[in-house]
Amino acid sequence: MKLEIGNFHVRDIVFGDALSFRDGILTIQKEEALNFIRQDDRITEAELYIVKPGEEVRLCPVKEAIEPRVRPDGRGIFPGYTSKLLPAGEGKVHALKNCSVLVVGRHMGGFQDGLIDMAGPGQKMTIFGNLLNIVLVADTNEAFERFEQQKMNDALRRAGHKLAEFIAGCVKELEPEEVEVYEMGSVRGRDPETEKLPSVVYVMQPQSQMEALGYNDLLYGWDLNRFLPTYMNPNEILDGAVVSGSFMPCSSKWSTYDFQNTPNIKALYREHGKTLNFLGVIMSNLNVALEQKERAAQFVAQLAVSLGADAAVVAEEGYGNPDADFVACLVALEDAGVKTIGVTNESTGRDGRGQPLVTLDEKCDAIVSCGNVGELIELPPMKVVLGELEALGRDGNSGGWEHDEILGPSVRPDGSVIMENNGIFCGDQVAGWSPKQMMAF
Amino acid sequence: MKKAIVYLNQFFGQIGGEEKAGFEPEIREGQVGPAMQMAKTLHAEVTHTIICGDNCMGSNPEETCAKILAMLDGLEFDIFLAGPAFQAGRYTVACGLICKAVKEKFGVPVVTSMNVETPGVNMFRKDMYILKGANSAAKMRKDLSNMVTLANKLLDGVAIGPAEEEGCFPRGIRHQVWRKDGKPASERMIDMLLKKVNGLPFVTEMPIPKIDRVPIAPAIKDLKKAKIALLNTGGIVPVDNPDRIQSASATRWGRYSIEGADGLEGGVFKTVHAGFDPAAADADPDVITPIDALRALEKEGFYGALHNWFYTTVGTGTTESEAARMAREIVPYLKEDCVDAVIMVST
Repeated sequence: MKLEIGNFHVRDIVFGDALSFRDGILTIQKEEALNFIRQDDRITEAELYIVKPGEEVRLCPVKEAIEPRVRPDGRGIFPGYTSKLLPAGEGKVHALKNCSVLVVGRHMGGFQDGLIDMAGPGQKMTIFGNLLNIVLVADTNEAFERFEQQKMNDALRRAGHKLAEFIAGCVKELEPEEVEVYEMGSVRGRDPETEKLPSVVYVMQPQSQMEALGYNDLLYGWDLNRFLPTYMNPNEILDGAVVSGSFMPCSSKWSTYDFQNTPNIKALYREHGKTLNFLGVIMSNLNVALEQKERAAQFVAQLAVSLGADAAVVAEEGYGNPDADFVACLVALEDAGVKTIGVTNESTGRDGRGQPLVTLDEKCDAIVSCGNVGELIELPPMKVVLGELEALGRDGNSGGWEHDEILGPSVRPDGSVIMENNGIFCGDQVAGWSPKQMMAF
Repeated sequence: MKKAIVYLNQFFGQIGGEEKAGFEPEIREGQVGPAMQMAKTLHAEVTHTIICGDNCMGSNPEETCAKILAMLDGLEFDIFLAGPAFQAGRYTVACGLICKAVKEKFGVPVVTSMNVETPGVNMFRKDMYILKGANSAAKMRKDLSNMVTLANKLLDGVAIGPAEEEGCFPRGIRHQVWRKDGKPASERMIDMLLKKVNGLPFVTEMPIPKIDRVPIAPAIKDLKKAKIALLNTGGIVPVDNPDRIQSASATRWGRYSIEGADGLEGGVFKTVHAGFDPAAADADPDVITPIDALRALEKEGFYGALHNWFYTTVGTGTTESEAARMAREIVPYLKEDCVDAVIMVST
């Protein structure tokens, strides 16, 4: 399977007369883009903004991030979700780099939504503080979940995915400035020098905790709660096979942008044939019932052994209950003789004294640890807020609160905030970006 | 200028060797022995030195600490330094004991230094900054300098970095840090993976701590006389959530009367827990807090009585340390109300 990602490096984004990409400048025709979004009659209110690193802008409640992409051959970029179900991971896709489409609720947030600052001390807390962002701020008529803490955010998220593809339409016919090639064939009969290297599988545990459908990560449009682990070509992940969901406390979230660019997969590709033999991805999940966790771990270990893996990396999208899946999977792999390392975040609390994961095992002896969901964060006011900052404290955002005797409310009258890292949009970057590390004090 | 007080044992306090180890604590104005060396670079004036024999502290720690605390009463000081104690076992314990007592009573930062092989390290490292000390007094200059460096940061209000950077024993506290080299998790993953798979030494970023195990309580002797309370982490609260318990990462708890109630009604009570689908619990809170079933068993005489209050917090994302703190706050209420046993419902 050979995937060619043709990159177009965006230096600036402006609104203008026609959607175009020229000399690094992405021009968006605002009304045209908004009319495209309004085709979904669930959207009741929509506005577009461009925000750039260094601007004093705060975004909240942020629901999703997508890298704008398009396929020159006309296939859709999220098969089984926004377009016809077809295999991903093969052929050419064009990508607008250094930018993302962000979806922000105009009014209502929830448990799963996050905050992004484009300047100040919060800017470094998520990669999106350093990207050029096309921000869709919108509201919907989905009254059934308006006041629910758990929201599917279906209309808003789909609007973002479709908008990302719509905007990338301007580079469909253009020649990319650079092409990244990802090629992986059968696990059998590989080059003899590569075969001598230690073989490695990458095990992904995307979020799937909600029993009800519509909240979890999707694989080719299929809800990962109704799923058992399977083997995948890593190109499929990099090419839109997985779409992010709407459930986990936000710093633990893997947005669709994260899936499209998963740094851990790219790093394993870079080492392939040099220091290791990358066998591919075992896609798993994070269901809540104990037997489901054990069944998934059993499947993962069996697949790894059958594929001939000497080593495995396990990464989880979440914390708390999913730690049980993470640890069970690491232990099952170690017990099967596969040398395993994990990538995760921790929940040691505001004082840092809590147990890192809800369950632990001495076999988890090699962990890359990317952040503390409970870290207390104070951020100064920003000149502009896109969305509704009150959502952080009011709507059950996992990093915010309405009232606290000692700390006061999360959202203060002057526009400054105090919150947990939990509410920073994709802040812990377990997909591989994280420049953060947990350390003992 | 800020002020400091230093604690030394009989040997470094220049009273004598083992034969003087029973020396009763004394406070002296000014600087004795190592305190003189510290005073040269410390960003505070060392106003007093306390000297105490190691056996005196070792054989009667509570009384000896109380005597020293009484000596400190009324003195102004911004930091308290003890040692360095090197590999002298009794001295390390003495430094830990007095530092802990001073920190608790006066609320000032305390700093000491010990060798890894001594008992004081594991006894006190969670309570204070203990610098990793040498195994003999030949390294006095270095250990003193390390103590002063850390003490100066505390005096100057400079943020204290990770234990490894500061040369301290970890205090059981873990926080996220932006790496100076910015090395992303994906590269750290590759490094660790290649080392592990090739049988080379590697350093995990999350050492597995020793797990605290709580012993199982003895069984209730006579259930028919037992008063039983219901607790839950499922977030069942009156609909207006009067205690404003958070939906996740809870630090708050509440207790609500069920006196005379045969169950909880939807619309009157609900769940604020954000970690599961709330529909079933909102419709019938008894699916989490089974007061209906407990009342039925109570009427049958299966057990003595259901306690008039049930207790609630939210478990999702709530750290073990916050949970333990909330338990410490709740337990006195239960004891005061003579509750014999609790049923803890998790979700």
